[in-house]
Amino acid sequence: MSRGARWLAGGLIAAVLVWSAAATELSLARMIEGLPYMWDFLRRMFPPDLSVLGNALRGAVQTIQIAVVGTTVAALLALPAGFAAARNASPPWLFYGARFLLNVFRAVDTLVYALFFVAAVGLGPFPGVLAVVVYTATVLAKLYSEAIEAIDPGPVEAVRATGATSLQVLRWGVLPQLVPQFLSFTLYRFETNIRAAAVLGFVGAGGIGFYIQTYLRLLNYPAAATVLLVLIGLVMIVDFASSRVRARLV
Amino acid sequence: MIRVRSLQKDYPGSPRALDGVDLDIERGEFVALIGSSGAGKSTLLRCLNGLVTPTAGRVEVNGQVVTEASAETLRRVRAGIGFVFQQFNLLRRLSVLENALLGRLAHTPNWRSLMGWFTPADVARAETILERVGLAGLGTRRVDTLSGGQQQRVAIARALVQTPAVILADEPMASLDPALAHTVMEILRRINLEDGITIVASLHILELARVYGHRIVGLHRGRIVHDGPPESLDAAASARIFEPRAQ
Repeated sequence: MSRGARWLAGGLIAAVLVWSAAATELSLARMIEGLPYMWDFLRRMFPPDLSVLGNALRGAVQTIQIAVVGTTVAALLALPAGFAAARNASPPWLFYGARFLLNVFRAVDTLVYALFFVAAVGLGPFPGVLAVVVYTATVLAKLYSEAIEAIDPGPVEAVRATGATSLQVLRWGVLPQLVPQFLSFTLYRFETNIRAAAVLGFVGAGGIGFYIQTYLRLLNYPAAATVLLVLIGLVMIVDFASSRVRARLV
Repeated sequence: MIRVRSLQKDYPGSPRALDGVDLDIERGEFVALIGSSGAGKSTLLRCLNGLVTPTAGRVEVNGQVVTEASAETLRRVRAGIGFVFQQFNLLRRLSVLENALLGRLAHTPNWRSLMGWFTPADVARAETILERVGLAGLGTRRVDTLSGGQQQRVAIARALVQTPAVILADEPMASLDPALAHTVMEILRRINLEDGITIVASLHILELARVYGHRIVGLHRGRIVHDGPPESLDAAASARIFEPRAQ
């Protein structure tokens, strides 16, 4: 890049930054003004009201259930979709079609799907599961397809050279290279889905988010604090357990 | 055992890989295929078991025509040909025994192989062969925990488990250090002498070819430019084989 082009690029980036900062009313003064209110918000949460622990745990269990069912169904859908979207495993028309569809569906996040499904099938955990399924299936299909494209062709050729059938080549040349990675990606998405499912309740799609939302609306900060603590504990436990398992897979 | 006639292979956008190769190999021979990289050694070996489909010409192995064989016939031909790769091409996350057992896939029905149910006879056979190549007691180890020399021996075991009439070896020692290269070649020589298995090994090191080959075939730009016993490989012959490509 020439010196002039570099200055031009730098100037453009600076201009976009200033323009965006002004439009979003970025202001250090206002943040400092807000500090006492933030402190007040936190102070009013203490001590947490443990009498709502039962609700919090019920919500947490439902969030886990949404993530478990949603991730599993998504993984099953992502399996064929992943092969369809892998350059080395599908014909061009299918590959480009699958890639395009995955990009379209992945552009929208879980929470937006939740709004859509709540409107379509009503309140409760079921629209939450549907939202998790749609978004996770597209993300997993993309990750699976990248793993398929990165496969080592050597062992596949070697298994074919023994006189194996196509099915045997798939079972012994391809799958041993993919299954540990697929499991690892799926567990990772399960972790992420616990967090995603935790906010689904904000739009009426079930889980622990429902209680956070309700207690905040009722200005019952000590109760909201208990639910938040349970959520933090839940996320930490799932992250820890899942990363331990993933470390053993690869 | 192996008959190759007017074999030709073109890859789009590159110089002709094989340019009219004629070759006859008898049962029990140990043929060293030499030539610089890009001379067509790998392509020739891969045409022998149908991993590469030639543009023109005819290949016959063990009385069966490889070129234009049906998928079913091709699988049967391959079952009788072991192939040892430069990069070993093992399933790194599977155990040594599982890798060796892959040599029985052609004799295992689809449904059994999906479950990984190999017969006790096949398992016993794989274990005996692992012992023979010096890997006794390592059957349960994951392949990626082994050294390069051990991995190449697993690959040789996989080929032997097929009970092949021929073993094709594509630069079997190129990924190994010199001492290990001799171990691997020594194993191939023993297989050749004791089991009468025909061996065709491509080698880029002349010394190894001289020591182990009964017959040396030199390829240059897809043509055979030398064919004879090790003694015949004089300075003029090696100049023909290794003549720089840029001429």
